[in-house]
Amino acid sequence: MASFTASSVSFSPVSCSLKQNQASSLRKASLSFSGKGFPSHRLPALRFRVACAAKPDTVNKVVNIVKKQLALPDDREVTGESKFATLGADSLDTVEIVMGLEEEFGIAVEEESAQSITTVQEAADLIEKLLEQK
Amino acid sequence: MALKLNASNFQSPKCASFALPPVASVRSPKFFMASTLRSGSKEVETVKKPFSPPREVHVQVTHSMPPQKIEIFKAMEDWAENNLLVHLKPVEKCWQPQDFLPDPASDGFYDQVKELRERAREIPDDYFVVLVGDMITEEALPTYQTMLNTLDGVRDETGASLTSWAIWTRAWTAEENRHGDLLNKYLYLSGRVDMTQIEKTIQYLIGSGMDPRTENNPYLGFIYTSFQERATFISHGNTARLAREHGDLKLAQICGTIASDEKRHETAYTKIVEKLFEIDPDGTVLAFADMMRKKISMPAHLMYDGRDDNLFDHFSAVAQRLGVYTARDYADILEHLVGRWKVENLTGLSAEGQKAQDYVCGLPPRIRRLEERAQGKARANEAPRIPFSWIYDREVRL
Repeated sequence: MASFTASSVSFSPVSCSLKQNQASSLRKASLSFSGKGFPSHRLPALRFRVACAAKPDTVNKVVNIVKKQLALPDDREVTGESKFATLGADSLDTVEIVMGLEEEFGIAVEEESAQSITTVQEAADLIEKLLEQK
Repeated sequence: MALKLNASNFQSPKCASFALPPVASVRSPKFFMASTLRSGSKEVETVKKPFSPPREVHVQVTHSMPPQKIEIFKAMEDWAENNLLVHLKPVEKCWQPQDFLPDPASDGFYDQVKELRERAREIPDDYFVVLVGDMITEEALPTYQTMLNTLDGVRDETGASLTSWAIWTRAWTAEENRHGDLLNKYLYLSGRVDMTQIEKTIQYLIGSGMDPRTENNPYLGFIYTSFQERATFISHGNTARLAREHGDLKLAQICGTIASDEKRHETAYTKIVEKLFEIDPDGTVLAFADMMRKKISMPAHLMYDGRDDNLFDHFSAVAQRLGVYTARDYADILEHLVGRWKVENLTGLSAEGQKAQDYVCGLPPRIRRLEERAQGKARANEAPRIPFSWIYDREVRL
């Protein structure tokens, strides 16, 4: 399971940076170029350079918080790509998930940033960004 | 219902259900407003139309009540005659706006007007913003009578139908009509506000209508009106209190009198839903949960004055700051209704019904927690001052 998660995480930044044209992922890309977050010997041999993914550990913590908020069974598959909406979260759930993340990671999420979170991956990325800023 | 935090149900500046633009969002009960769309938004229009009033963004569902349930309301006619109409006041016993305004037929008229204006001068702009917003809401009464007449089983089929339901709706409308009239005349005489801008806002608002997502379904409709009447009771009660604090006892009396009407209406509507819980507990609790999931949208959420694209958000932020109508009030109303209708004690519910029961009973504390978080963040940033056309573009802090 852990290795499966790790490999899915390492591929998703490729898709996330390609499809999203957000300043945030560009910023993350430059951060990872500077060496933070991805020890170079662990970088998968990707054709595309950009790595904007959060650590698997962060993603897992987000997954757990989401599962708890939405009362999902442990065996329900929730990955970085999972959208809150698809998992059954309504708008109140999403806000409470963000609150749970704030408490878990000791961060404060701005309203504007909170508004842009729709998937587990986006939540994890935002968390890492905020942790780096601390 | 879009579930992104920033989408129709939450907070994009363009798609604002609970919406507030980020600056104003600091303090307001943005969670509690309905889905709106500015027609300039890219999500829907290819051509941006500047300066146009907002429109509902959600898909408008109709006739969601199974037609066989219409019978329930036909069968309730006698009950309605004996239990609902009693909450109406005979016209001869009703107050009229003139009772609270300077008397044009009297020699003392000019002095009375002068005194009214002197008292009004002592009342700050932010209070007037909220009072104007309330008045505009009341003046959009055609929309609310329409909404009641969209409901299956209880609508006034001809405009003069003699069913108890139709009699109630017309008489309710007639009572409410005095509210807008009274506030309009007071604001006109006060000299503190730009009547042209206010009148424009009213024209836009009636033109926009509203969809409270009651889907022609009287279960949803009467739950909605129960909530709303209590909300207006609280809101006018607070404007009355504030008017007293500002030294205008006559205005306090005006707002207080309107509030007492709303309380009487709340009693009536909650009685209907109480009866529905008795007749069809499962259907009613499902309806209650459905309305709360969709969130109770404020009647004037589509308000527009030709200038401010986020007028309702701005108005609500001020109402929140002044304590006239807050996110906490929303939670309190919900909690009150859960208790009033004894939702916790319902038995014999289906599995779906039990889920609905759990949802509704568990919702007030969740909303309170949300509101505390928002207030905590609000204290960190001071809200901006923005101009309101209703007061000649003078600025008020959100």
